[in-house]
Amino acid sequence: MDSISDNALMLKVRDGDLDKLGLLFERYRKILFGFFYNMSHDTGLSEDLVQNVFMRILKYRAGFKGDGEFKVWMFHIARNVGHDHYRKTKGKETDEIDNWKDKLGDDNMNREVEMEKGEDLDLLRLALKRLDEEKREILTLSKLEGMKYKNIGDILNCSEGAVKVKVFRALQALKQEYMHLQARV
Amino acid sequence: MDTKDLINKYRSGRLSAEEEELLDRYVENGTVSLEELEDLKSIKANFEALPTPEPSQNLSDNFYANLEAAKQKEQQSQTIRNWFAQLWAAQPALRWAYSVGLITLGVGLGYLLRPGGEDNRKLENLSAEVSEMKEMMMLTLLDKESPSDRLKAVNLTSELPDASVKVTEALLKTLNHDENVNVRLATLEALYPYASHPQVREGLIKAIAMQESPLVQMALAEMMVALQEKRSVENLEKVLKNKNTPPEVRERIEKSIEVLI
Repeated sequence: MDSISDNALMLKVRDGDLDKLGLLFERYRKILFGFFYNMSHDTGLSEDLVQNVFMRILKYRAGFKGDGEFKVWMFHIARNVGHDHYRKTKGKETDEIDNWKDKLGDDNMNREVEMEKGEDLDLLRLALKRLDEEKREILTLSKLEGMKYKNIGDILNCSEGAVKVKVFRALQALKQEYMHLQARV
Repeated sequence: MDTKDLINKYRSGRLSAEEEELLDRYVENGTVSLEELEDLKSIKANFEALPTPEPSQNLSDNFYANLEAAKQKEQQSQTIRNWFAQLWAAQPALRWAYSVGLITLGVGLGYLLRPGGEDNRKLENLSAEVSEMKEMMMLTLLDKESPSDRLKAVNLTSELPDASVKVTEALLKTLNHDENVNVRLATLEALYPYASHPQVREGLIKAIAMQESPLVQMALAEMMVALQEKRSVENLEKVLKNKNTPPEVRERIEKSIEVLI
């Protein structure tokens, strides 16, 4: 995953060679999909959002100056696409979360947890779901292939050290949620 | 506190708020790496091992379809631009036509926007209004009782570029009927520039017979000489016949008649 070459490709796209966007798509479709999937756990939605990101890259390609890493620029767009989506569906989303929280207390949820008994990964996924968006995002970003703390700092506009602390805090919260869920099982 | 102690304390969950902050700082500046905090190691590993499904073929299909559509759109606008560019290069006459068109446009706009047209008209309107106002003021002042006001009115006529019939009539009326000699003399002077108007001339000739003041009579006689008005002789003779006319005036008028005849 050579970043210089990413930038060179994107510069070509900017100057009218749109076919080169196909190469960038091949490089990043899985990573972007992973990002959206870990945030939403919705395959269809994640695919739509990846699609939106690339269409936006196409639309705003003139804004790519080539002075920063393409990956960082792309994730700025990806985060905007995500925020736009959640803003649009905010009402709906809260409903779902409310319902889901209700479920936690009732038998349905208990049964769901029961079903996941012993399956640590599913429990972990559930714990991840219960984190707030910011923590879920930083963990998701840190998990992405080839993503360094420095890159995440560029994406989130903070220092590398601050990213480390955020990851540290998010991991702690994730662990707490996980233990909490485990205790209920 | 030693870093190791801090980490040990962290593991046992006995960190105070202050120590937590210290740990945060250590993490931030890299003194403590996340790997050293072993309790998080497993959750981190588990989290990173969470399987992420692969995006479906749909994603790729849709992307390439969209890309193709965008490319075609791009090409269309490119073609139109190329068409213009080719037209430009192939037809030098078009370039000339364009230049000539631009020049014509410039000249036309310059002509339309030239200064003065509108402004001059406005200025003319304005000065016409001003002289109209002066005329009105003069006519009003002439009716005043105070002789000095009437004098002022008569003097105002010199500021009028072109006296209207109304003004000259008013002046002639003043000349014949004003009770103040000074006003009448001033009026006579004011009328002199308009003596070329037949009506004014007529009025002046008629005025000779109506004047009683010797000063005005003499001034009129002199003016008639200056104007070379022979028709005034008849009226001047009438003044001579009047018994009340003082001898100095008679002498003067006689001289004038001689010159005129």
